[in-house]
Amino acid sequence: MERTNKIIALIIKLVFWGLLVAFFVWAFTNDMFSTIVEQPDTFFRLLGEHVTIVLLSGAAAVLLAVPLGIFVTRPKFRKSEWLIIGIANLGQTVPSLAVLALAMGFLGIGISAAIVALFVYSLLPIIQNTIAGIDSVDDDMIDAAKGMGLTNSQILWKIELPNALTSIIAGVRTALVINIGTAALAYLVGAGGLGVWIFTGIRLFDNAFLMSGAVPVTLLAILIDYLFKWLQFALVPKGLRLARKAQNS
Amino acid sequence: MIHFNDVTKVYNGNVKAIENMNFNVEDGELVIMLGPSGCGKTTLLRMVNQLESITDGDIMLNGKSVKQSNKIEMRRNIGYVIQSNGLFPNMNIEDNAMIVPNLLGWDRKKMRDRFNTLMELVGLNPDQYRKRFPHELSGGQQQRVGVARALAADPPVMLMDEPFGALDPIIRTHLQEEFLQIQKELKKTILFVSHDIDEAVKMADKIALLKGGQMMQFAEPAKMLNKPANSFVAEFVGQDRVLKSMSLYTVKDLATALTLKPVSESLEAQNINENLSLRVAISKLLNQEADQLIVENNNGTNKGSITLDLIEQFLHREIKESV
Amino acid sequence: MGITKKVEVYLGPLQEKFRRCPPISDLIDYFTSNFTFVLGYTWDHIKLVGSAIIIAIVIGVPLGIYCSVNKYAASTILQIASIMMTIPSLALFGIMIPILSLINEGIGTLPAIIALVLYSQLPIIRNTYTAISNVDPDIRDAANGIGLTTFQRLYKVELPNAIPLIMAGVRTATVLNIGVGAIATLIGAGGLGGIIYQGILRNNTTMILAGALSVAVLALIADLFLRLIENLFTPKGVKK
Ligand SMILES: Nc1ncnc2c1ncn2[C@@H]1O[C@H](COP(=O)(O)OP(=O)(O)OP(=O)(O)O)[C@@H](O)[C@H]1O
Ligand SMILES: [Mg+2]
Repeated sequence: MERTNKIIALIIKLVFWGLLVAFFVWAFTNDMFSTIVEQPDTFFRLLGEHVTIVLLSGAAAVLLAVPLGIFVTRPKFRKSEWLIIGIANLGQTVPSLAVLALAMGFLGIGISAAIVALFVYSLLPIIQNTIAGIDSVDDDMIDAAKGMGLTNSQILWKIELPNALTSIIAGVRTALVINIGTAALAYLVGAGGLGVWIFTGIRLFDNAFLMSGAVPVTLLAILIDYLFKWLQFALVPKGLRLARKAQNS
Repeated sequence: MIHFNDVTKVYNGNVKAIENMNFNVEDGELVIMLGPSGCGKTTLLRMVNQLESITDGDIMLNGKSVKQSNKIEMRRNIGYVIQSNGLFPNMNIEDNAMIVPNLLGWDRKKMRDRFNTLMELVGLNPDQYRKRFPHELSGGQQQRVGVARALAADPPVMLMDEPFGALDPIIRTHLQEEFLQIQKELKKTILFVSHDIDEAVKMADKIALLKGGQMMQFAEPAKMLNKPANSFVAEFVGQDRVLKSMSLYTVKDLATALTLKPVSESLEAQNINENLSLRVAISKLLNQEADQLIVENNNGTNKGSITLDLIEQFLHREIKESV
Repeated sequence: MGITKKVEVYLGPLQEKFRRCPPISDLIDYFTSNFTFVLGYTWDHIKLVGSAIIIAIVIGVPLGIYCSVNKYAASTILQIASIMMTIPSLALFGIMIPILSLINEGIGTLPAIIALVLYSQLPIIRNTYTAISNVDPDIRDAANGIGLTTFQRLYKVELPNAIPLIMAGVRTATVLNIGVGAIATLIGAGGLGGIIYQGILRNNTTMILAGALSVAVLALIADLFLRLIENLFTPKGVKK
């Protein structure tokens, strides 16, 4: 039974990788990445725009959302917590396409509209996860810390933030992965990015443009996802990983 | 050292948790608060280090009102142990135990030495546990680290809320004994919450028995067992209170209070050290191991003998006549 | 156009109230005068997401159940599903167009539905898997003890207990898909994204707002509706 199960799992894995390899072989033999080969300069410019939009908006969002999350979880402002959580939940039902379009309405065509839109959109998951992370810190722990004479800021830095870190990084990870996808739509507001080739491909029915735009965007998203998965592992104190493991088992 | 002056606590304007509480915990004394769930023990404890505000009255710590003290500074001079989960999962055992010294800016060497001393004190090998994390320790080991952490900056006062509550009986007994040993050396002023009468009888210098936010009796364990102030106290300490109180007297106490009998040739005899408790003596006699016990001191000198009769006489005297 | 009239009757007074707030009064104007048009787009959106979700359930729930009996396959399948989830929607469309062009379906509803089905897999499989693995081992033992076959046990004991969590997975997937569905319009799959897209082309903020609002409201209604169903399907004993 055990062995059959392992074999089936292996087969699934092989089929998945096989399909992936088949896809790339098919794409290469049909010259579907020719656009990248023919216009490497354009490719790197678009990639650069794409990454710039994502990173600038993401970094700005982290700088605002994490402090905001910390702020609303302070005892004095706890009452406003539900409001912020509510806004974050509601905001995420608005499609990214619309957020981009609205930013263009305010800021006109160009890269700044895209950056602002992605910034606003990525605030939501980061705030949500910052609040959830801090809320998940055990009350007893805070109590013990207070009882030992830690000041509020010491409690924040030594207890709350380290314990909320996994959740915060997870929020940033979600936000960045979504951003990479949304940045592909930035073409619509005239902000460039790899979406330019995807849209050209759709319009011209040109597979080479489609693939040369879509595959790098996909790889970028998967890459960022893995990078942050690794960060979650590397930055989070070992004791917390153990704690989580103990909780799950 | 800790003086409760007419302390009253009202939660949310209507829940009266503590009412006009008056008692003192003297220097070097271990006072245990007992009482049914919800009677206000935790509340009272937490008012001392101002985790809970005082509605009315005041608590004086070393003659200074806790209300007027700087909270942070005061708390650093009070060891605080809570029942569960007090260790920080993100820090290893050394960082956990040394958090207050760290905040006080001790140097590395001093902290390391202190950690080693404390871990030895609570019976854990410092080098084995230093770099481990709370989740790599058993419940009992975590509890010990919790006690070590509270002792870290050598605070003169300790507040302990059911520190051994979540442990199984064997480990608990073991830790209680260890802790008593530590207390004998360190002579801290300790306010300790428990719900276990046996724990209180064994460890406390004085017991404070609460009910519904009011003090039912505040007395030495022997007195509480032998002279309960009212029927609630009597019921709380249990039907076997007299038997329990036996563990609080030594054979020597009896020998001092009454004249021992001469050793009788006709009765079966066994020897007993004068420093053992009367409870041991009574068990030996009741188990029919002997009909008389020959009392000897540490040098083995025979001081006379005790029988059940004599113990009964002693009890009568303690319970009915003494203060 | 009876309906349009009715809407006008209801929204008219509101419009009065918001007269001094241009975006809102414009928005109300837009909805009253394009009511059937918006309704049509909404219906397209519902059809698109709805059919994708149904297909996703048919694929995801059995996969989740299978995962609960084969933990080796579980980790592989969940990993693949989470990679799928990471692929940006426009990029996924971009990759599918050349592939589906092989059967002449590169543009339109099919790639959109496939994409939505793929995105739904992670929440549905994961929740089904967790739900069934979490059924109390004692309950399972008892079911074995009274002689139920594996299939009977699954059908009578494990699934009913797992339904609330599975439904929660379906809900997550649906809300997510309503958002992604707004992008599907870019490959000609119709739906409410169309209003936003036309708004972009005409540089018409009111249309963009109208489209965004419709999608958000649709997502909220779907969320509420599925919560309701979740409650109905939860066996009385399992409710907390
Ligand atoms: N934050 C609070 N707000 C309102 N009422 C409270 C609060 N904390 C405690 N109480 C109430 O005050 C009373 C005393 O509570 P306390 O926690 O001090 O009891 P306790 O003696 O420690 O009980 P236990 O043995 O169960 O720990 C209880 O009736 C409790 O419900
Ligand atoms: Mg308590």
